[in-house]
Amino acid sequence: MSETFTKSMARNIFYGGSLFFFLLFLALTFDTESALPERDNRQALTEKVALGKRVWEENNCIGCHTLLGEGAYFAPELGNVYKRFGNSTEAIVGFIKSRPENGIPGRRSMPQFNLSDEELEAVAEFLKYASGIDTNNWPPNIQG
Amino acid sequence: MSEPAAQAVIGEHDRPPGDLAIWIFICAELLVFAVFFASYAFARASHVELFNQWQQTLNRDYALLNTLALITSSYFVVRAIAAVRENRPDTGLRWLLGALAMGALFLAVKSMEYAEHYSHGINLRSNLFFMFYFSLTFFHFMHVLMGMLILGVNAAILRKGGYTAENHRGMETGGSYWHMVDMVWLILFPLVYVMR
Amino acid sequence: MKYQSQAVAKPYFIAAIGLFVGQIIFGLIMGLQYVWGDFLFPEIPFNVARMVHTNLLIVWILFGFMGAAYYLIPEETENELWSPKLALAMFWIFLVAGALTILGYLLVPYARLAELTMNELLPTMGREFLEQPTITKIGIVVVALSFLLNIGMTLLKGRKTVVSLVMVIGLTGLAVFFLFAFYNPDNLVRDKFYWWWVVHLWVEGVWELILGSILAFVLIKTTGVDREVIEKWLYVIIAMTLITGIIGTGHHYYWIGTPEYWQWWGSIFSAMEPIPFFMMTIFAFNMVNKRRRNHPNQAAVLWALGTAVMAFLGAGVWGFMHTLSPVNYYTHGTQITAAHGHMAFYGAYAMIVLTMISYSMPLMNGRKAANSNKSQVVEMWAFWLMTVSMVFITLFLTGAGILQTWMQRYTDTPMSFMEAQDKIALFYWMREFAGLVFLVGLVLYIVSFFVGRNDPEAVVEEKATA
Repeated sequence: MSETFTKSMARNIFYGGSLFFFLLFLALTFDTESALPERDNRQALTEKVALGKRVWEENNCIGCHTLLGEGAYFAPELGNVYKRFGNSTEAIVGFIKSRPENGIPGRRSMPQFNLSDEELEAVAEFLKYASGIDTNNWPPNIQG
Repeated sequence: MSEPAAQAVIGEHDRPPGDLAIWIFICAELLVFAVFFASYAFARASHVELFNQWQQTLNRDYALLNTLALITSSYFVVRAIAAVRENRPDTGLRWLLGALAMGALFLAVKSMEYAEHYSHGINLRSNLFFMFYFSLTFFHFMHVLMGMLILGVNAAILRKGGYTAENHRGMETGGSYWHMVDMVWLILFPLVYVMR
Repeated sequence: MKYQSQAVAKPYFIAAIGLFVGQIIFGLIMGLQYVWGDFLFPEIPFNVARMVHTNLLIVWILFGFMGAAYYLIPEETENELWSPKLALAMFWIFLVAGALTILGYLLVPYARLAELTMNELLPTMGREFLEQPTITKIGIVVVALSFLLNIGMTLLKGRKTVVSLVMVIGLTGLAVFFLFAFYNPDNLVRDKFYWWWVVHLWVEGVWELILGSILAFVLIKTTGVDREVIEKWLYVIIAMTLITGIIGTGHHYYWIGTPEYWQWWGSIFSAMEPIPFFMMTIFAFNMVNKRRRNHPNQAAVLWALGTAVMAFLGAGVWGFMHTLSPVNYYTHGTQITAAHGHMAFYGAYAMIVLTMISYSMPLMNGRKAANSNKSQVVEMWAFWLMTVSMVFITLFLTGAGILQTWMQRYTDTPMSFMEAQDKIALFYWMREFAGLVFLVGLVLYIVSFFVGRNDPEAVVEEKATA
């Protein structure tokens, strides 16, 4: 039985270490929150954009697409789609509107969500807002 | 890796003083700090001008004061353990409290330094140099805090008569950790404040 | 089975396995949709199949964790479960709520589901893994709190062991971090920042405590190694988990709008996250080597060792491969992520639940220690089929991911997403085939519960202690 390495010391290291890093994490979180206003494009976070985020969520766009690299890997990254579509919200609206009800035979298909004009504009504004976030130069290129 | 301070105790055992678990932990800590220092060196290598420029703005007097504070406190810890070993726990407690006071001095000086930086609008995000400066020193700061907590527990137990001349492993454990924290500073200080 | 109330784990485990089958069926649907793009479109579009697949996963793992707790807490604390009735009631509530939610996903368009469930009162729908209607989420909290109350009271009234304590800490953390699922700000950066407080702090945080304690429990039971040794190592492992994993959360903060220093903090600490998994592997093999007896339930021992290895490979190694920010810059959101995710989740969490089921089901079914030889052999076949096919799934997705990264990201002439996907279709076909083999393994696993039921249980000759 080794006296040298006690269970209670291991326990203390667990509790001490966890608390230590939890506090450090909180400190970094606090700093991150203070850094965000210059990075997160909140000036562009209008009510329309907030509505757009709601539309994005309620149609589960993340279930096929990635947004800032996070989500599903079935369809393209949309964090920079505003730029990819030539800095045009109309192009985004046009794309979503034009999805065929029954898909494109044999190809990965996007549903026709039958969004109202207001919802379409809102989600396009949301994606424009997302493209203005300072993501440390991610993605590496326009294709996302 | 043995500290001059720890030499006094190693003669008596085959293994390092204190609980072996703390030594595994100390090694892990040193590994992490080594990775940090390596990252610093790597970043510096590609941003020499930037690092030199901003390094000049650091207050080396504060850093020197902090270095003296920590070295002194380590010395006090050694004296504390020696006293307990010689069956003079009251003296030991006084040395230990002295060590804690030196630790507190370190924290106070460092906090003042940070306050000065912040008042000039300098923080973790100002540039790559300061990202490292704040990250390294704050990470170390928190270790000083933790070390003081451990020494504080040692002091509380000592006060209640929990350590004897024959068995004071808890103090050796806490002392070893404190010496590590001191040693890390002794590397950090020249690296960040001095070396160009 | 020492305490009658441990039997409450059985329905939880059965439900877990049933939902697991559902998960795999929808996984196979998705895998096919990757290459046959409009398969089942528009009735079951990809995103619907995906939310069914991932939600079933999470729910079956939760059923598994709860079953594991209901089995091991009474045994560890040496007293009956505080309220078996509550446990059974929560079982049905969770199962029905879960089933209704999945049916909701399948039967109505998601936006309509949001409307029907009054999402606008407190909008929490529409985020990955958190697609559940707000009312379902509230239900989950109620079930979780009742569960914690039940095992908490059992722990309070009984013997406090390290295994039970760590299990309860992990489960409490699970419940607490789930609360962040209710925080859905309009600010997309903050939305993502706190979303990871659920997901990362679950799977790379408190869930590892649950994993560790179940593994420790099974090792104590099957090897006979001194509890003191096993519990000491459990503390070391979970200490390393949180020490690396908490700041390791930063590896999700590289590209979502948060400051650049996370690239340093996140890379350094998450690079060390494999350490606890490595320790778990050494720990498991060491304990089995130092065993004082050969346990008749060799299948359970195989699952335990397999869990440690696969968790280390999937979570540790594959995780490390894409965790450093210079690498992640190119691989973020590619099939590399999917490759890691599958092996990590299967290796760590699916397998630990299956380990616990393997150990405890025979006992709950009246066996003294283990199932018959025949049953164990079939079970072990299932283990190998599922585990090896998962390795191949991961390898194929890794291949797909490397190519995707090369063609779409790490080049001056990037291909579009869809073009690149077309080019890697072969890997997706191979993945799908491996997925079918996985299903065969799963079916065999279920078969193992039904064969050799009337055969005598496996025994080992007692060997002299090492």
